[in-house]
Amino acid sequence: MRITDLEKTIGTFHMEVDDLYIEPEKIHGIVGPNGCGKTVFLKIAAGILPPDTGTVDYDGLSPRDITMMFQRPYLMHTTVYENLIYPLKIRGIRPDEEEIDRMLSRVGLKEQKRQYARSLSSGERQKLSFLRAVIFKPRMIMVDETLSNLDSESEELFAGMIGEIQKVRPVTWLIVNHQMDHICRLCDEMHYMEKGRFVKR
Amino acid sequence: MWEWLKSIVSDTGIMSAVKVTFIMAVSSTAISSVLGILFGLLLERFSFPGKRIVVRINRTLMGVPPVVAGLVVYLLIMRRGPLGPLSLLFTIKGMVIAQVLIITPIISGMIYSYARKAAPSIRVFAATMGADRWQTARLIIRELRKEIYFCMVTGFGRSISEVGAVMLVGGNIKGRTRTMTTTISLLKSQGIFTEGVALGIVLLVMAFILQWICDLLQKEGEEDENY
Repeated sequence: MRITDLEKTIGTFHMEVDDLYIEPEKIHGIVGPNGCGKTVFLKIAAGILPPDTGTVDYDGLSPRDITMMFQRPYLMHTTVYENLIYPLKIRGIRPDEEEIDRMLSRVGLKEQKRQYARSLSSGERQKLSFLRAVIFKPRMIMVDETLSNLDSESEELFAGMIGEIQKVRPVTWLIVNHQMDHICRLCDEMHYMEKGRFVKR
Repeated sequence: MWEWLKSIVSDTGIMSAVKVTFIMAVSSTAISSVLGILFGLLLERFSFPGKRIVVRINRTLMGVPPVVAGLVVYLLIMRRGPLGPLSLLFTIKGMVIAQVLIITPIISGMIYSYARKAAPSIRVFAATMGADRWQTARLIIRELRKEIYFCMVTGFGRSISEVGAVMLVGGNIKGRTRTMTTTISLLKSQGIFTEGVALGIVLLVMAFILQWICDLLQKEGEEDENY
């Protein structure tokens, strides 16, 4: 993915990205202080927010191959299971029940499968959101702070699962975080943002 | 008590008023729901010049006095009015038109404010999941189903309780356009209070039973919810 001459102004915030190349099938970390524009950048890269000027070249990927995970994920007013299979449903794919059970027990949500999704705790919500984002095998996954503020056990869990996905069927990951330490050991490449720009470090 | 209830049920005048009320309320709620939900959702979805004015007018119409709506419809459908040839005056159809005029803005205004709160985040979510336009629209409606249901119940409540417009447009003709509310109003003017109160109770019981049925239908798909 290549982003060129991107500009976006929201109120007093201004973002400028001259040229950024995101190597496919690698894990990219984006780190920067709060308010530096990480989320805005991620939304533009995910195609959710249109830039004022500039282009995002996905190198043949369609919007359906790209997904994004939010810090506070949207959960539909239905069960954990229905939330999980939604991306499959809209693609007309029949869910593999065994696979789903395996995924759910991996993150410890098997018992809650038929529960109302909004009754989950915030940690459980993030786990569900993670599964929902990977279940339809997208080619590119944007992660907005989902992996920060986790307890060390969940952090291990997510790191392990990302590692497995990369081994089997590599995905381009763009992981935003305001702290360095949590993600740098996971990432192949790091990008730093400051005041709406990418900077060298 | 039992005898008295029996006499009410066997009274053809009262039973006809119940029937007229029911037909009118169900029809006007159904039509207003389709129009109001559609309009409310579209209003949230699209922005255009003058949208704020449209929203403000909608809010104003939410509180329009029923007699005023009744008067407007009366002027339209009276014999010498522009819609006179359709002979809608003093018919249930005419009453439904007046009620649609009253209820649609209420439903669309409520739907609009619910959608404005919830739809943007649903839209972003749908985009991240790769949903197309129709799937996104369907998801928004599904996620707002409780609110939509609530708006319809509100509309129905307005419909059965309304007197002014129904009286003006329907003419309170016994056996044809006399509703429960106009019957009560008539009974009061004749000084027959007990029957009036009885009819009021019947009206409330009817609304209660209908809500109960709707609630049962609602719960069916949502047994899993434990929050």
